Amino acid sequence: MTVQVLDPATLPADDNVNPYTFCVELKGSQWFLQKGKMIAYYGRIEFNGIGHGALERLVRTSFHSPLHAGDWVVAQGSGKMLLADRAFDVNSFDLEDGNLTIRAGNLLAYQPSLALKQSIVPGFLTLIGTGKFVAASNGPVVFMEPPLRVDPQALVGWADCPSPCHHYDHGYVRGVIGGLRTLTGIGGTSGEEHQFEFVGAGTVLLQSSEALMPEQATGAVPHEPGVPGGGSGHASGGHGPLGPGMPRMPGQLGDLQRRFGL
Amino acid sequence: MFRLQGSKVLAVEMTGDSVRAKNGSMVAYDGEMAFKKLSGGGEGLRGMVTRRLTGEQMTLMEVKGRGTCWFADRASEINLVALRGDRLHVEASNLLAADAGLRTGTTFTGLRGASQGNGLFTTTVEGHGQAALLSDGPAVVLRVSPQYPLSVDPGAYVAHQGDLRQSLQSGVTFRTFLGEGGGEAFQMRFEGDGLVYVQPSERNTVAGDV
Repeated sequence: MTVQVLDPATLPADDNVNPYTFCVELKGSQWFLQKGKMIAYYGRIEFNGIGHGALERLVRTSFHSPLHAGDWVVAQGSGKMLLADRAFDVNSFDLEDGNLTIRAGNLLAYQPSLALKQSIVPGFLTLIGTGKFVAASNGPVVFMEPPLRVDPQALVGWADCPSPCHHYDHGYVRGVIGGLRTLTGIGGTSGEEHQFEFVGAGTVLLQSSEALMPEQATGAVPHEPGVPGGGSGHASGGHGPLGPGMPRMPGQLGDLQRRFGL
Repeated sequence: MFRLQGSKVLAVEMTGDSVRAKNGSMVAYDGEMAFKKLSGGGEGLRGMVTRRLTGEQMTLMEVKGRGTCWFADRASEINLVALRGDRLHVEASNLLAADAGLRTGTTFTGLRGASQGNGLFTTTVEGHGQAALLSDGPAVVLRVSPQYPLSVDPGAYVAHQGDLRQSLQSGVTFRTFLGEGGGEAFQMRFEGDGLVYVQPSERNTVAGDV
C-alpha cells in the first residue's frame, strides 16, 4: 500500500480528501466554520470570531443565530484548508435556492452565500439559499423520503419538507398501565416508542447509527417562554447571562469591544 | 516486514529479527515469538531517565522470533512510515511499532507541547526501516516545501518527518480574552522540506478552548 502524499496542488478543491477529511479552497473568499474543526491549512488564512467588527456586514446577511455565535468563526484569505470532526464521516452538500435543517452539532462549515438561521425545532439550524455546506455524521448519510417516522437519534436533518412532529406509540402511552410503564420503565420498553414523524414532500437525512454525535453547548436551549425543553443543561457558551428577550449577539451594543470603539 | 491487514491491524513478518512495539499491543501471532518488556523504551539508563524526566513515557516491548505477529491498539487507524536515514518526530502515544534497527530518542519541541497539553518533548525515530503510527481516523499526509509552508492544529498533529522547522503561531489577541477568539488560537507552522501527518480529529487541547 502506497501512502498518498498531498500538497496544495494535489489537494482537491472543495471536495473530500478521504471520507473523514474535507478540503476547502479559499481564494480571497470567506467560509463560516465551527470553532476548532480546522485541522491544517496551506496559504494565508485568518480566523475571526463572529463578533469581529470587520465582519459585521457578512454576519448581518448570513448568520442569524445569536445562540450559536460563540461557536462559529469566519475563515478568510487564500489557500487550502482541511476540515475534520472527531474522525466522523464528513460530506458536502449543495443547496440550490433551497432550505435545509440540520442538527446543530453536525454542521461543520458553510459558504456565506447561504444564510444560517435557528430552526424552530430546538437544537437544529436551518440553511437557506444557494451554496455549499459541510456536515459530519456518525456513519454515512442515508436519504429518505416522507411520509416517514424516524428514530430521534438517527436524524441528521431534513430538506424542503415541513418540520417534523413527535409521534408516540399509542399502546405504550395508553391507560394507567401505560402511564406506569412510562414513569417507571417496569414492564419493559422497546426503546422505539417515540419517533419523529415527517409528512409532505422533501428529503430526510439519516445517519447510519443511533449514536448521537456528542451534543455540544451549541445545541443548548435557553430559558425562555415558548421554547420547549428550555433550561436543561447550560445556556449558550459564555456570552454572559441571557436576559429576557433576545440573546445578545456579540458585537451588539453593550459589548465591551463596542464600547472601546472596536 | 511491516504490512497492513485492513487499516487497523499491523502484521509483521519476522525471520529471527526483532521489532519494538507498544507494550501490550500484540493481538495474535503464529510461529515462535518471545516478548520482552523494554524498560525505558530500550534506550538504556540515560534514555530511561530522560523519558522519566520529560514525561514522554513510552512502554515498549521487544518482539523477537519467527512467524507473523499482529498488532493493534484500540481500533485506531495505523499508518506506515518508511524511514531512509531521516528523522521522524512523533508523540510517544502515537507510536505503535518500529523496526529494531531504528533508534528512538527524546527531543525538546519548544512551546508547542505546552499548548498541546502533552508535554514539551517529543519522541524521535531515526535510521533505516519502517515505523507504524497510530491515528484517530486515517491520517492525511501533507507535503511541506519551501514555497508551501503548512499550519496545523496542535490537536490534529500526529507526526512529521524530514527537514522541517516548526514554530508556534499564535492568533491570540485581546479579542481572545473577551471571549471572541477565532477558535484557532494556536497553530504549529511547518517550514522547510518534509511530510506532516495529520489526523481527522482533534485531541482536547488547551488551545481548543481559546
